[in-house]
Amino acid sequence: MKFECGDLEQALRTPELMPEAREHLRFCAECRREYQLWLQISSTARSLHEEWETPELWGRIRSTIEAGIQPAPPVWKRWPVLAIAAAILLALIATPLLWQRAHTPASHAQPGANGDDDFLTEQALAEVEKNEAAYRQSIDKLSRLAEAKLKKPASPYVANEQEKLLAIDSAIDETRANVKLNRFNVHLQTTLADLYREKQQTLEELLSREQKN
Amino acid sequence: MPLRFPGALPEHPTEAQLADECRRGNLRAFEMLYQQHASRMKSLAFRMLGSRADAEDAVQEAFLKVHKAVRGFEGQSSLATWVYRILLNCCYDALRRRERLAETAPARDFPAPGKLPLKLALERALAMLNDRQRIVFLMFEVEGLKHSEIAAILEVPEGTCRSWLFEAKSQLKRILTETAR
Repeated sequence: MKFECGDLEQALRTPELMPEAREHLRFCAECRREYQLWLQISSTARSLHEEWETPELWGRIRSTIEAGIQPAPPVWKRWPVLAIAAAILLALIATPLLWQRAHTPASHAQPGANGDDDFLTEQALAEVEKNEAAYRQSIDKLSRLAEAKLKKPASPYVANEQEKLLAIDSAIDETRANVKLNRFNVHLQTTLADLYREKQQTLEELLSREQKN
Repeated sequence: MPLRFPGALPEHPTEAQLADECRRGNLRAFEMLYQQHASRMKSLAFRMLGSRADAEDAVQEAFLKVHKAVRGFEGQSSLATWVYRILLNCCYDALRRRERLAETAPARDFPAPGKLPLKLALERALAMLNDRQRIVFLMFEVEGLKHSEIAAILEVPEGTCRSWLFEAKSQLKRILTETAR
């Protein structure tokens, strides 16, 4: 095959034709210019890559993601709602009971005497309070272990857990204050136990994660 | 999708690990994905849209779409391929919006390609290519993606991708030669 100027394009597409094309390029200035331009297009194209700093772009993306996602608040953040719900429930249960007690001889008016488990007896309450004190002591031990990590949060995870623990503590204080006013209330005692459990799990998870790191 | 804080993500995760963590909503994994691809994505979007601000918006939109849809990502293509495909769609959407609003591309009052240094002449000539030629040229020659990657992003056979690139370069050569005369 005799290589002609019009064959250059075909040669650029077909590597097998390139030896003949190179031979032709030695003598044809016009094809040589075209071939050089072909190569220059590729080499110049690299310089079209545009690089610039956008330090705020990821922050923008992240905050949009975070703003778009409102996870269901965990139970410790829903405390006021739960408290209101518990109060309504308590009122519903207590009203007929109080009415009944008012119309019953004193000897039968013991808490729990009617098989009503929403109210604790003195004996059961003593048991609950004893357990609560022991539980609180063991959680306090965990808190002391985690204290150093929480004082200077080294990661967003620890900072988040610190915030969560503060919220749990505040809910615990509030619930304990309510329990003092209504010691026989099962719902308040259960809420308090749930909060202690939440705190214990949070602390245990924090400590085990920090140990792994 | 629930947000998760940095969990057990290795320093150099494999793409499968990264995809898994992204699916679980791990923001650190998203950040790593962003760090790996954002620079090239911005450049590609810039070349398609003609302005840095629009390019940043397109990248942002792409990552938000990735975050929203990643749970449905089944791994039939690579995560990166999928992310680039989403970016291209964001760019096309932006171009369509621009057309609807009868906007023109950011003004670039170039003289004819022939009177310019080659880089500027090439930029000008690129605008004269059709969409498929331009996108293949940008991804292969400018951003350095492989034919196999481009073919996967565009969902076309690799041979088609090579053919489009050849068409693009021939067309550019023709434009640059003609305008130089």
